[in-house]
Amino acid sequence: MVKYLAKRFLRSFITLFIILSIVFVLVRQMPIEGYFPNIEKMSQADIERDLHMMGLDQPILVQLFDFFKDLVCEGSLGVSRVYRTNVPVTTILADKIPLSVQLGSMSLCLALLVGLPMGTLMAKYKGKLFDHIGTGFIVLINAVPAAVYYLFIQLYGTDLLNISMLFTRNPEGIRWVLPVISMSLGNIAYYAMWLRRYMVDESKKDYVMLARIKGASENQIMFRHIFRNSFVPLAQYIPTSFLNTVIGSIYIESLYGIPGMGGLLVDVIKKQDNNMIQGIVLLFACVGVIGLILGDILMVTLDPRISFTKKGGDR
Amino acid sequence: MANPILSVRNLHVKFRLRGRVLHALRGINLDVLEGESLAIVGESGCGKSVLNKNFIGLLDQNGFIESGSIHYFGMGDKMRNHSAAGEDELGRPYIDMARFEDNEDWLRIRGSEVCMIPQDPMTSLNPLKTIGWQISEALELHRGMTGDMAYDEVIRILEDVRIDDPERRYKQYPHELSGGMRQRIVIAIAIACQPKILICDEPTTALDVTIQAQVLTLLKDLKAKYNLTIIFITHDLGVVANIAERVAVMYAGDIIELGTVDDIFFDARHPYTWALLSSLPQLGQRGEELYSIKGTPPNLFKEIKGDAFAARNPHALKIDHIQQPPYFHVSPTHKARTWLLDPRAPKVEPPAALKKIKDIGGVNHGD
Repeated sequence: MVKYLAKRFLRSFITLFIILSIVFVLVRQMPIEGYFPNIEKMSQADIERDLHMMGLDQPILVQLFDFFKDLVCEGSLGVSRVYRTNVPVTTILADKIPLSVQLGSMSLCLALLVGLPMGTLMAKYKGKLFDHIGTGFIVLINAVPAAVYYLFIQLYGTDLLNISMLFTRNPEGIRWVLPVISMSLGNIAYYAMWLRRYMVDESKKDYVMLARIKGASENQIMFRHIFRNSFVPLAQYIPTSFLNTVIGSIYIESLYGIPGMGGLLVDVIKKQDNNMIQGIVLLFACVGVIGLILGDILMVTLDPRISFTKKGGDR
Repeated sequence: MANPILSVRNLHVKFRLRGRVLHALRGINLDVLEGESLAIVGESGCGKSVLNKNFIGLLDQNGFIESGSIHYFGMGDKMRNHSAAGEDELGRPYIDMARFEDNEDWLRIRGSEVCMIPQDPMTSLNPLKTIGWQISEALELHRGMTGDMAYDEVIRILEDVRIDDPERRYKQYPHELSGGMRQRIVIAIAIACQPKILICDEPTTALDVTIQAQVLTLLKDLKAKYNLTIIFITHDLGVVANIAERVAVMYAGDIIELGTVDDIFFDARHPYTWALLSSLPQLGQRGEELYSIKGTPPNLFKEIKGDAFAARNPHALKIDHIQQPPYFHVSPTHKARTWLLDPRAPKVEPPAALKKIKDIGGVNHGD
């Protein structure tokens, strides 16, 4: 298993290297007009001087080499050019990530805490009132565009709690309530829907019948057998969805004016802030790659039939 | 004769299917005797499994008991105050399982009184739990055993079902075991429950022939050791000859002949039993096609008039199409539901091929 993971990490590094190189080259193919908002007023000499300062006049391979040298030797991603001039990219991200992570992880916890019991109860009372109410909720959340209920929650929620619409103006604690609820609703519906579905599937299997024959009560069967087994396929996605919180929610963060990661990438691309783009892409790629690895590790721990070492396997 | 542990009287079970009603069991009468091994044979769809699911409360959602009773005598006085309790004419207390209404009642029966070995061992074990855990669960449920005590008992039971290296197997998962081994684990789970009645629903169909014989021998030994009453559901007459003491032949939701193994194999009286035995491949002649029963079983969505087998029966009498035959007793242990046994019926000889069963020494291919 250690050997497998070592290989897997090595491959991840190669993946990250390739992604970064491609993005690095691509952003440098953009027209240089993008770097200078008032290019028509600049002389050719000015333009060349500025390009030289940014190191953009060098051959692209040399630039790429310097970039990776700085990254590996100093852990530096360069400085922001436009977004916050001359502030290191890492500093900017370090300011923003914690807010997004806090918002995301709270909403993920809420989603699991509400979604899993909801799915379980829906499966248990399949076809009964609770199942219908739950299905109604899931359909509603999936059918109504998120933007609509986000606004709805903001509008009435702020009135109800008697707080400002802006995150930064509210006291610590209560200011998280509305964004977290808004952000978790989609995930609650997701986990409830899939858990219910997997549990209904599992409950028809032969081993459930054997548990019943053994004399286990319906509750014991539900929790000891069906829930655990249905959770396995869902568990794979939890690390990814947790890490995705780093990326932030564009809409919710802008709605409440939370200075997090949401929308940052789009912002810096528009401003053609090369170093910022590279930094954020690296972050996103890491999140994706690590999420997949963690998901697989979680699967192996939960399901004995899956193993890193053997090829093929029984099922 | 031993006392009955389970006594079924006039049991009618129906299923609601797409707005229609299927009459799956049409008045079953059956005594299961304490400590015997009873085989229930018949072709697919005759109601063997449905009958047995009634004994453990696992009838499908759309099925229901319309009338009849299932008296279980194994509880003794334990459920005396239950509304379904009663006493038979000899004063023996019983509980009428046909009158159970909620699942709580069944929890007192399942496992500890009646247990079942399902058909397919490949899918009957929880893939995510260790063998040890799954057997311990039964111990915990019925015997309150946990920890070291449960561990020791699991190891002992694993040895009982002839699993070698039980300490290692304890920690293994179902997918690491072969089909025959998994079937033994399922049997171990049943044994751990310490039931009085063990229902084996085609316990060997999913296994290959060499393993079949081993499993049957194992079941025989366990029956003796734990004093089990075993009900075998099967359509393999070889299994029947190997393990059963008495045989009930089912056709279209009814038991049409009941007797000891010898009664059924050497002195069958019902034309359906004849037909069933004639289709034994061992009786086939080289170069000739094997015997098969012509036609199809009757449609149970319609009420059946007369003898259900009449339409496929070459010896059918006129009355077979009009009135259902009662049971005629051939001997104290042997009865059959056919008008051929009526003193007024013409004499019909069983097919000549059946005489050969004696020559091939029964159909005992198990040992």
